[in-house]
Order: sequence, then C-alpha cells, then structure tokens
Amino acid sequence: MIRLTPIPGKPIDPASLSTVDSLVQARIDGRLSRRDLIRRAAQLGFAAPVIGVMLHATSDMVNGAPSPGRNRAIARMQDAPILVEGPTAPEGTQVAGGALVVGTTDEPDTLHPALTQLQGSFDVWGAIVKGLLHWDSAMVMQPELATEFSISDDGLSYTFTLREGVTFHNGDPFTAADVMATVDIINNPDFGTYNVYNLDQVAEMSASDDGLTITLSTAEPYAPFLSLIADGPIFPKAEIDKGLESFTTEYGRAPVGAGPLRFVEWAAQQHILLERFDDYWGDPSILDEIRYMIIPDDNTQLVQLRTGEIQLVGGAGAISALRVDEALEIEGVNVLQHSSQAWIHLDLKHVDFLRMTKVRQALDYATPTQQIIDQLMGGRVLPSIGDVPPGSWAFNPDVEPRPYDPDRAKELLEEAGLTFDGNVWSGPTPTPEKDIDPNTDLGGPVKELAIEIWTQAGESHYDLISQAIAQSWSDIGIKVEVKTEDVSTIWGPEGYQFTDAMTAALFAWYNSNDPDDTWYWHSKWIPETPEGSGGNLPAYFFPYNFQAEIDDLTGRAETETDQEARAELYRQAQALLHEEAAVIFLYWDMVFPAVAENVGGFWPSGFTNLFWNAHQWYVTE
Amino acid sequence: MSRYFIRRTLGAIPLLFGVAVLSFIFMQLAPGGPDALFGRLPRMTDERLAQMRANLGLDDPMIVQFGKWLGNLLTGDLGTSYVQHRPVWHVIWDVFPNTVYLVMAGLFIALILSLLFGVIAAKNPYGLFDNVTAFISYFGLAMPVFWLGLMLQILFAVKLGWLPSAGMHSAGETGVADFLEHLILPAFTIAIGSIATWSRYIRASTIEEINADYVRTARAKGMAEPSILSRHVLRNSLTPFITVVAIDIPLYLTGAVLVETVFSWPGMGRLFFDSLNRRDYPVLMGILMLGAVLIVIGNLVADLIYARLDPRISFE
Repeated sequence: MIRLTPIPGKPIDPASLSTVDSLVQARIDGRLSRRDLIRRAAQLGFAAPVIGVMLHATSDMVNGAPSPGRNRAIARMQDAPILVEGPTAPEGTQVAGGALVVGTTDEPDTLHPALTQLQGSFDVWGAIVKGLLHWDSAMVMQPELATEFSISDDGLSYTFTLREGVTFHNGDPFTAADVMATVDIINNPDFGTYNVYNLDQVAEMSASDDGLTITLSTAEPYAPFLSLIADGPIFPKAEIDKGLESFTTEYGRAPVGAGPLRFVEWAAQQHILLERFDDYWGDPSILDEIRYMIIPDDNTQLVQLRTGEIQLVGGAGAISALRVDEALEIEGVNVLQHSSQAWIHLDLKHVDFLRMTKVRQALDYATPTQQIIDQLMGGRVLPSIGDVPPGSWAFNPDVEPRPYDPDRAKELLEEAGLTFDGNVWSGPTPTPEKDIDPNTDLGGPVKELAIEIWTQAGESHYDLISQAIAQSWSDIGIKVEVKTEDVSTIWGPEGYQFTDAMTAALFAWYNSNDPDDTWYWHSKWIPETPEGSGGNLPAYFFPYNFQAEIDDLTGRAETETDQEARAELYRQAQALLHEEAAVIFLYWDMVFPAVAENVGGFWPSGFTNLFWNAHQWYVTE
Repeated sequence: MSRYFIRRTLGAIPLLFGVAVLSFIFMQLAPGGPDALFGRLPRMTDERLAQMRANLGLDDPMIVQFGKWLGNLLTGDLGTSYVQHRPVWHVIWDVFPNTVYLVMAGLFIALILSLLFGVIAAKNPYGLFDNVTAFISYFGLAMPVFWLGLMLQILFAVKLGWLPSAGMHSAGETGVADFLEHLILPAFTIAIGSIATWSRYIRASTIEEINADYVRTARAKGMAEPSILSRHVLRNSLTPFITVVAIDIPLYLTGAVLVETVFSWPGMGRLFFDSLNRRDYPVLMGILMLGAVLIVIGNLVADLIYARLDPRISFE
C-alpha cells in the first residue's frame, strides 16, 4: 500500500526495492530519486508504460510543477502583485468561525462535476464533492477518500484503500459501492457526461467483501490515469439511485458529497451558499460559511472589493490583467498572482499562403508580440514560444522569440514568391492538394494575401490585441479584416476553421496536468467533419507541411516514459513549432486573485480548483 | 366587452404560433449551436460526441425538434436547459419575479417623473424648467447605461456609502428594507431612458390639448386651473400615452440586460443574453414565448384602459 503523506527518511538502496508499491513509496518519502526509480524499475523488467504509471503516482510526471526556472521567469515581471508561494498568513488573531464572501464574474452553469463546462463550477464543487485523491496547489497529489493505493506490477490495476468513517452530507457512510456507482454512471451512455475524469478507462472493477478496498483496472497501462482521477468526484450512490432524470436535473443544483463544506442554497444569478460540514472526516472548516456571489460586471466587482461587500476573488472570477492596477489601489486588499495553464496564440489555418513556412514566419515577424505584452497587457503576462510553460521540465529554454521586424517580414514574403504592387501582396498559392510540399509546389491559383482575424466577443483584451496585430500586418501591406464572433459561432461548423478564407484566430488553449499535446498537433486529432471532434483545427483542409515530423515527435512523447527522453522530444517539438511558426505564440496568462488582508489560509494556483482548501481559510481580527 | 376579450385571446393563438415558428427558425439559422464546444473538449471522441448530441435531441432534423418542442409545450413542458440541465420553467421562474420587481420600480419612477416633468414643462414651454428638465432627461438618455450605473455606484456606494453597490440582497439579509435599498439605483438607471422620451411625449401632447378650444371654454367658464389640467387636459393627453407605455413594458422585461449586469441584478435580461451566447435553445424559446405573451397581454390591457378613458371607443 502507498501512503501519499511522506515519511521522510534516509536515502534507500534502490536494489532493496522490487515492487511497484515499494518504489513509489520510497520516491514519495523522498528516499529515492526519480532517476533511480526509473533505473531500478527498468532493471526489474517493468514495461515502459508501467513506469509511466509509477511516475504519475509519485507526482513526478506533472506539467508546470513549481521550479526555479518558472520562478525566475515570473520574477522578471512587475513585482506589484504578490506572488503566491503558499497560504496567506495575515497577522492578528484567528477568529473562530466567521463568514467569507467570494465574488465571481461567471455564474456556474451547474454544480454537477460531470456536466459542467465552466471553471467557476469546478471552483465551487471542489469544496463540496471530493474524490479518491486530490491535487494541492504545490501540484502534489494528496489522499482524500482513499488513504492509500497500490499499483499492480503489470501497471493495470489500482487498488485503493478507502478511508473509514467518512460520511456524505446526506448522512450515508462512504463505501466501495459509491465508487462503483460513480464509475458506472460516468460510463452510462444515456447519462452522456462531458467530463469523464479518466473513469472511461476503467475496464474492470471489484471491491473487497468488507467494502474497504476497491480495485480499478485499465485495459492497457495508461500513464495519466491517476492525474485525472485526482481531479474527479465520488458521488453518493443514493443520489445516483434516484434515477437518471433526478441525477441530471437536480443533483447539479444541490450537490451532495463528502467534502468539508456542505451545499446550502443557490439563488439564481445571486449567490451560492456553502456551510461547514461538521461530520467531515478531517479537520472541519474553520469558517462557518462561504458565500459565492455572482457579479457579472468586472467594474462592479472592483467596486464591491472596495466597499468590502466581497472579500476574495480568484479562479474564474480573478481580476483581469488589464485591471490589476485599479485593484492594487484598493486599500486593505492584497492582489496575488500565480501562473495558469492557458496559452494565448493566433491560430493560422493552413490554407493557401498560410501553408508556406516563410509566409507564417513573416506574419510572426510582423506581429509586435513584446509591445502587446508590455503595453496592452501591462507586462502582466509571460511571453510564450511554444505550448510548454517556462519552468516546466519539458520547456525548451533555447528557443528565442522572433523580434518585431517588419522589414524582415517583407523580405520573407518576397522569398516566398509574393510581390507587392504598392497596394497588396499577391502571388501563386500552393497546389491545393494534401500530399505536396507547399513551400515549393506552387501550382495553385494566383491570390492576394488577405487574412481574417477572428476573435471572441466580450473579451476586451482580445479585441485590443487583434486590432493591434491587424494594424501591424496592414502596415506591411497585408489585407486584414477583424471579425468578432461569439464562442458558439467560432467553434461551430461555421467557425473560422471551416471557411475557405485564410483565417487566423485569437484564443487560448488550456493545458492539463501533463505536457501531452497530441490534441493540438497530431494528425489523429484533425476533425473529420466540421461537426466532428478534434483539436488540430488548422490542419483540417491540408495537413501541416511538417505534419510527419510533429506526428513523430508528439506521438513518441505520448508513450515515452523516461522523463528526460520525453523532455527532449518536447524540446524538439517546441523548436520545430517555432521554426515553422505553426501558429503565432503570444503569451501565457497569469491569474490575479485578490483577497482582503485579514484572510488567511487562502492558497490558489493554476493546478487545482479555487476551493480545494476552503476549509482551511480563516479571518483574523 | 367579454366577447371582445375572448376574440382577442383566441386571435393571439395563431400570432403566438407564428412567433414560435419564426423564433425557432431564426435561432437555428444562427451559426454554431449548443454543441459547438463539445468537439473541442480534450480527447472527445466522435462516438461520445454523437451520443451527447443524441441525448440532447440535437441529431433530429429541425422540423422534428420543433414538433417535439411544440408537443411538450402543449402539455405545459418547456423542455430542459442544455446548459443548466434543469427544466426551463425553473430556470425562468427563478429570475422572472426579480425582473418584474425591477421593471415595476423603474416604471413607477419613470411615470411619476415624466408626468411631473412633462406637464410642468408644458405649462410654460421653453421656460427655465422646460429647458433644465429637457437637459437632464436627454443627458440621461445619451449616457451609456453601464457608465451611468458605474458613476451612480461610485457616488452613492463608494463615496457617500448611502446605498449598496449591487446585488438584490446583502449577504445573509432577506428583509424588505434591504431589498428596497438595493432596488433604488438599478430602478433609477432603468427609468432614466424612459423619463426622457416619455416626458417629451407628455409635454407635446399636453401643449396640444392645453391650446384646444374646450380648454379655453373651461377657462371662460371660470374653472380652476388645477382641475382643468387634471380633469380635461390630462385625460385627453394621456390616452395615447397609455399605448406608448404598454408597448415599452415588455421591452423593459427582456431588455434590461445592461442594467442587470452592472448592478448584478438577477433577471431575465442576463438570462437571455447568457442563453443566447451558449445557444441554449430551450431557454431562449421559453423567454421569447413569455415575451410574446406579455406583449399580447400588454396590448390587450392598453386597449381595455383606452376604452375606459375614452367613451367614444367601444368594443361591443
């Protein structure tokens, strides 16, 4: 059995360890290096995917864990907001009990962990419904409803020891039956969940007779299995047994879980009220209640922080980078800062000229990325050169962003065979077939270089950024039109990816706990139809001119379990994506929570939900 | 009278059906759909996507979807929200009363002030009062609601601390006094646009009536000025005004989105806007049908009041 709570000890001789559990435990206890774990496991003859499973169990295989590189990158930024390095710890005496009002700009759609699509919902249900394990803000997996787990030596079966004496908010005791009912409902096609939390990978499950352990098995060794389990919920069986209709329509408005806070009420468009659950298995919530106030307008949000009507914002309701300066002026309120997993970029649909490396490079040179970061975003975001955040073990520090250089951009357009007639760039386009080299095979019709930039309505900084890029591109003679559309339009079958124009789209992709990025680049995730699924949208009409190379790199990295080898593959992928200017990488978002000076225990991060430790929040006098 | 009432009610049915058909078609014509984002969720497979569409009934042809919706409507079922996963009726009913409170308060303020402004201005056109109130009401009309709302918040909530900045209740409060305090700023903000248009309307029609022959006759008979105004002039000048107000009321109910957003007021405008963005068809249809019903009722009530105020109009 594996304890997630480390009991540190002296370094251990790897040769004395021979099972998955013992290796994982030694690593968690800090008695074994990651490298020794991998080496010893390989000596023992464990298959590569099994080693991958082990590294997930030790929280080694995670993206964006705090590291010196990341901290240095962040230190370069303006230092006004306070960098989150742990829970807030105000001076003064801690008050027993008390209430806190949290503000958000987005009302949750539903608090159903399986049906919500909004971050704000994850923020809130994170305190109500807990799972077997959970992530903390240091990106370390922690025990919750399971106290320990073990992994079979073939890497297929996970046996969890369930915590005894856990009670759900409805009074039912927590048993293995609840875990099994949760797995079943998630996999029930009639339920049709959006969020499966890797439970769709469960091929078999069985519980011990005493109901205190449960074994979940996957069909293949599947490395990220635990990562998402740790994000997922366990539902009380009684709630599921009320029937599909009730579980779909009612549970999400009044969720029942085993978390430290209990759902009390949800007044539509006003607030969601949570209160301390006295029968929580661990230390009960310090606060008596937490009220999640819905304040759709971000001006109003700042006004209410100022008047003290709300005392904390974060997660989905964090202060936007454009408003940090205003928030910093509010007395008695600290503005915090932590990294996020969101990378903002300009997608380039690979059609016509945009299939050509030099044209895309020209667009990158013609984009004033640093000015956008400094002037429009107030220097409060991190420049990006790829899809792996600075500080991650898979980040490539050797890739330099292209400077803003309009003359170089014009040269590159000329080298690509385009000519400028004083009004517009035009030239022959690549032959409109899939299996050609678009850089040399220019058998397509002569066209003008005219690009539509699509952006999401209601995001004021996206408006500013796309206008700035459009202006810079126009300055070198490219015809640009900015189109602002709502989310449903952009991502629907009439979206930018599926029109026949040359389009660019400004938006953010959100990474998860693992640097696996096949979803964005691999040919297996090119949608088959505009209605189909898939994340590799730019390659819908024509594959990338570097599709074979990126398939190879990301595909191998997805299955490689030696972390150093894997990191090398991701570094190569970042270099390739940058060289080819596959998309125009702009920046990594930062998140700015704000909290009244007398609130303690608040510890937000981009790795878990806002309320993950809400029971440890307190106020001081 | 009752025959007229029944005739109008029956006449509304084909009208509402037409509204339903057109709303449904226009909604489906809008690009994207409630499922637009599903395919972009990481590692979503085509099979799971198809299953989710089937569960929501989105894989049916449009005419079948409409048929099902209409069939359910006849049994009193407005369907289930794609976003909130609960009955549309609950979704709407949760916020509809709040919008009614806001609108009633806004109407009340708008009616009182526009009557006052309009009539006094008409007594002395182009005088000081006329010019000042005209300036104030046009200023209010011209200011963007979100800006005006923010200025009111900063003045009354932050600087003076007299009123709460937003929301419908303070945390943990449910009392009437607390509710009324929260109502003042949004109600005033929503009223200000109408004060401008309505007071100008009343002013114009009152000036017209005040110079009419029967008023001169009344004066010649030695009737007191206040009763000339209330018993003769206003009675005539307000009759067409009833229609103006009746047409505006439903617009208030669905069009308060900016005020509701700035003041975090839980209402229909915000619900409509959010549902539109997420293509929550069942909720949109519910709101549109409710709006249509309210317009029909509003017009009917206006006509009935008309008949009471103007003896020349008879529905028999």
